[in-house]
Amino acid sequence: MKRFEDVKLDEAQDLYFPTMCKVTQAKQITDMEKWYELEMPEGQDLGHSPGQFVEVSAFGIGEAPISISSAPHNNGRFELCIRQVGVLTNVLKKYEAGDSLGIRGPYGKGFPIEKLLGKDILIIAGGIGLVPLRSLINYVLDNRTDFGRLIILYGAKTPNELLFKEEIAEWIARDDVEFHVTVDQGDENWTGNTGVITTLIPGLDLNLNTTIAAITGPPIMYKFVIMSLKSKQLADDQIYVSLERRMKCGVGKCGHCQINGVYCCQEGPVFNYADIKPLEEAF
Amino acid sequence: MECFSLLRTDVPALIDHLGAFGEVVAPHAKGDVSYSFETVGDSSLVVLDYNRTLLPLKKEFLPPVEKLVSFSLNDLTSTPVEIPIEPKVYFAIHSYEMQSILRLDHSMLSGNVESNYLKRRTKSRFVGISFTPDEFHFSESVGIAIEDMEGFDLFLNEVDGDYQLYVLTENGRLLIHGFNKLKTAEPEIVEGREFKTKIRYHYNRLPRVFQYAYHSDVWAEVASRCVSCGACNLTCPTCFCFDVNDEVTITAEDGKRQRSWDSCMLSTFAEVAGGENFRENTINRTRHRLYRKFKYITDEEGLPWCVGCGRCTAFCPAGISLPEIVNDLIHEDEQAQLHQRVSV
Ligand SMILES: Cc1cc2nc3c(=O)[nH]c(=O)nc-3n(C[C@H](O)[C@H](O)[C@H](O)COP(=O)(O)OP(=O)(O)OC[C@H]3O[C@@H](n4cnc5c(N)ncnc54)[C@H](O)[C@@H]3O)c2cc1C
Ligand code: SF4
Ligand code: SF4
Ligand code: FES
Repeated sequence: MKRFEDVKLDEAQDLYFPTMCKVTQAKQITDMEKWYELEMPEGQDLGHSPGQFVEVSAFGIGEAPISISSAPHNNGRFELCIRQVGVLTNVLKKYEAGDSLGIRGPYGKGFPIEKLLGKDILIIAGGIGLVPLRSLINYVLDNRTDFGRLIILYGAKTPNELLFKEEIAEWIARDDVEFHVTVDQGDENWTGNTGVITTLIPGLDLNLNTTIAAITGPPIMYKFVIMSLKSKQLADDQIYVSLERRMKCGVGKCGHCQINGVYCCQEGPVFNYADIKPLEEAF
Repeated sequence: MECFSLLRTDVPALIDHLGAFGEVVAPHAKGDVSYSFETVGDSSLVVLDYNRTLLPLKKEFLPPVEKLVSFSLNDLTSTPVEIPIEPKVYFAIHSYEMQSILRLDHSMLSGNVESNYLKRRTKSRFVGISFTPDEFHFSESVGIAIEDMEGFDLFLNEVDGDYQLYVLTENGRLLIHGFNKLKTAEPEIVEGREFKTKIRYHYNRLPRVFQYAYHSDVWAEVASRCVSCGACNLTCPTCFCFDVNDEVTITAEDGKRQRSWDSCMLSTFAEVAGGENFRENTINRTRHRLYRKFKYITDEEGLPWCVGCGRCTAFCPAGISLPEIVNDLIHEDEQAQLHQRVSV
């Protein structure tokens, strides 16, 4: 047990004080989602790894956990993509280049890159789940020779809701990316796949020895995607999931993000499925 | 460890003497039946014989509402909150309450060390006092004796209406330096302060019970009576979960970000965007509360995160009793084992 006597005053941190970051670019990319590029105040590196998140604040409104969508860079800039679902996220919609946002973080555990090196990476993103996974996709693309195949499965409700359309066009054009997309419901222009994301899995030709899957999406999606991957004989420890929970502090204090006894903000949001599977509250 | 005798009538003088070190906080009567930890103005008003305060001592270190950041909406700047490091003496504290502070220390200082908490804790001194258990106390069942002196600088043990004062730390010795109403004494053992309420198993047997209790029928029975008011969390000395919200002044020019105590028994606690709720019904929330006390942290630290103060039971509007829940789980566990033996 950690004892008061063992802690020195200079170890203490002002855990809840945000750093102001300037919005350098902002763009509404769908009806409900806005993309932002931000810059750290001294141009320093945010220092995140793919899969981590920040607490974003607008004073007077509050804070919310938001995944870092860009791969790690050394240019002091990072990207977020925020879906407007409630009070804070709708206020954030008004932020444009030149405005400042409060940021705390990066927080949590991202993808364990060292364990993914040399592996085939299978990305499975449902809806807004592409936002955190984009940091991993771009990391793999930035370090392309360190990884095997890059297979991306992406599902959205409608073609209108597809995020990062220009980037997707680039991924499709590359011959070192295998990209598959589906929508629950097409429109008159949609010629691609329709159906839920799990419909993309049976057709995959995976090398079971080297494939690592990374899944992010709405809570309901995990169970079915994992079932589908299991029927392909992928082992539990070859599956990573990024989970969403309510988060108030991001630093393991407020208790909101607990999955049974595990703090999602500390030990997650990225978990190895084998570790999280025994927890009844996980999915 | 030094031991002195101290007359009950000299206790106010001791409190006044402690006031030289800093503000003294001690139990005071609130109305006819309630008690509260308050700053001492008049030392004769301090209550030495009390069962428990409504709010635990954690309110001193983790206030019910606390400003975290102040901000200006005019120029979008923010200022961290400065917490002064003040000498304070917490007087007439029961052993379970002290143990709850030691558990809060762990919760707030492990991993990310929180400065707000640490600064409030830095110059705190604790003077313990013995008590007579009522029908709600059960701290002995979670390994905390009435005379458990861990964490205290000084401890007052009542003997025949007067007190024996134990000096437990160097800080304690400094606190009583110059106080001349003490006489050296031989420590005496007091008999007869029995706990009326007990958990049937020693606490080191509880991990087994909780290992198998996740799907117990007990949760549904308890949940059917619970009104999800959250009083059990708010009065619990080891609960530390909080909510964060922003408050803007009426001129809309500036405001503050603050945290306030929260409760995992409230239905919105584990809600996420899109309306998904990971502990939607009372059964899940009741279980989570008890697992926080007896399993999750306990698995790592070896101690229950319940100190047996009895508050959650005493102040539950539905009369839900924590030791009763645990005893029901024990009973169910015994039945299951019996059944196993019979069927083998
Ligand atoms: C690790 C993590 C990463 C995330 N990454 C992104 C991202 O990259 N992009 C994105 O758009 N969203 C992301 N989210 C979700 C985002 O945090 C919520 O949509 C946001 O908090 C809603 O805030 P609001 O004030 O606009 O909504 P509110 O007005 O508060 O409420 C809208 C709904 O969301 C619920 N809610 C309230 N607070 C939270 C909270 N802190 N977390 C979850 N739900 C909450 C409410 O109960 C209600 O059902 C992420 C969440 C987590 C946990
Ligand atoms: S105090 Fe009683 S009624 Fe209220 S939430 Fe706790 S157990 Fe339920
Ligand atoms: S769970 Fe109940 S008895 Fe145990 S410490 Fe909390 S309030 Fe006291
Ligand atoms: S977000 Fe507060 S404990 Fe995880």
